[in-house]
Amino acid sequence: MVKKTFKVPDMTCTNCAMKLESLEDTLDGVKEINASYHKLQMTVEYDESKLTDEQIIAAVKKKGYQALPV
Amino acid sequence: MSRNRNRKPSLDPVILIALGIVFVTIAIVMVVFQSNTYDVNIANNSGGISQLAVAFITGLTTGGLSCLAVQGGLLASSLAHQIEQDYLEQAAHAERNKQRGKKNQPAPRSNSAFPIFLFLIAKVVAYTVLGALLGLVGSYLTLSPATRAILMILIGVFMLGNALRMFNVHPIFRYFSIEPPKFITRYIRRTAKGTDTVTPLFLGALTVFIPCGVTQAMMAAALGTSSMAMGAALMFAFTLGTSPVFFIVAYLTTELGSRLEKLFMRFVAVVVLILGLVTINGGLNVLGSQLSFQNLTRNLLPSNSGSAPVAQAAGSSFAEGDVVLYVQNEGYFPQTISAPAGKNFILNLVTNQTYSCARDFVIPSLDYYELLPDTGTVQVNIPAQEKGNTLFFTCSMGMYTGQIVFE
Repeated sequence: MVKKTFKVPDMTCTNCAMKLESLEDTLDGVKEINASYHKLQMTVEYDESKLTDEQIIAAVKKKGYQALPV
Repeated sequence: MSRNRNRKPSLDPVILIALGIVFVTIAIVMVVFQSNTYDVNIANNSGGISQLAVAFITGLTTGGLSCLAVQGGLLASSLAHQIEQDYLEQAAHAERNKQRGKKNQPAPRSNSAFPIFLFLIAKVVAYTVLGALLGLVGSYLTLSPATRAILMILIGVFMLGNALRMFNVHPIFRYFSIEPPKFITRYIRRTAKGTDTVTPLFLGALTVFIPCGVTQAMMAAALGTSSMAMGAALMFAFTLGTSPVFFIVAYLTTELGSRLEKLFMRFVAVVVLILGLVTINGGLNVLGSQLSFQNLTRNLLPSNSGSAPVAQAAGSSFAEGDVVLYVQNEGYFPQTISAPAGKNFILNLVTNQTYSCARDFVIPSLDYYELLPDTGTVQVNIPAQEKGNTLFFTCSMGMYTGQIVFE
């Protein structure tokens, strides 16, 4: 398992963070997501063998946001 | 026939009912509660039912928008699952039509009114319970005018910060947004997933942890009632008042799409900004600060000032030279009193069927606070002041103000 942080500069409120955290339940390989509107970032703990950074970025894009690896 | 199948109903019945309740309630309030009960100070038990009317009107006029600014995120997350399902259904519907070679027609949208309605029901219940608890706590402690003033300023700063956050002025203002604890949002999401009833109810109740600025001011008022029943009734009336505006704006926001959502949120940000400034100003007045808008500008505007005013009505019991301040529903008359420096004097506070906040009379620098009778005269001993000194007076909400200038 690895933990990676992504910048998400287009969050506009705490609800955006909650939307991103819901990916925990839908994205295979994710153990935990902590998103912060205050810091405009999200930290994803996931199984590298099941999920790639690109897949995470694509899933975030489907939610309507842009994720940038830190 | 098939063309009509996917046409949205012209107006949701829940909206009609909500609007109907709003208009009927406003009509009742206007007929039953005359204008002389307006601006009653709701922090004290001066006129129980009129307090509730004012709380309701406050919620109806400003509380709804202010609440939406702060709590809108929770409401949106309660709709998020449904909205996402809508988008997925729309996309799938478009794809199916494309494959069949049909012209794309929008899939029927699910009803976002019902979850909003559930959210608001839960919110009203939760805040009523909170009001009862605050009233109970308030019966054991009292808020001095200075404490209330500081609370008002803090609340105003919080509202200002949120407004500036919504305008995206600077990253620092993001910290004025309260993030619910992760374990709560996770629990809600996982146990209520796919259930349109539980999530809105749970999140509606959760709003007690993130009250908006106006709600916080109302909570302070509930604390000030020192009564469980009155505190509960006050919060019930206020939260009920916020519901129609909250409902309508949230409903329109989800139905009209992201462009209009931005427009609405900008409008909300402006309102919250104004409310924040008004609340801070009120707090400054209650502190007797020279920096409040009224105290800074009073001398610049033509004022109803007087020099040791004598009683206006014929047959008054006041002698010539008595210093009289008329405490009226619309405020204090005169707003500026000239008084002699270097000697004590008696200030006569005269009320005549006065029910507004002006009855809660405060002279902050003398630490004097009195709830005046609705009709009568109260005498206040003003100690000697130096020449050039100014004593500010105000109602306990910082709405009506005036000054005594020592010459």
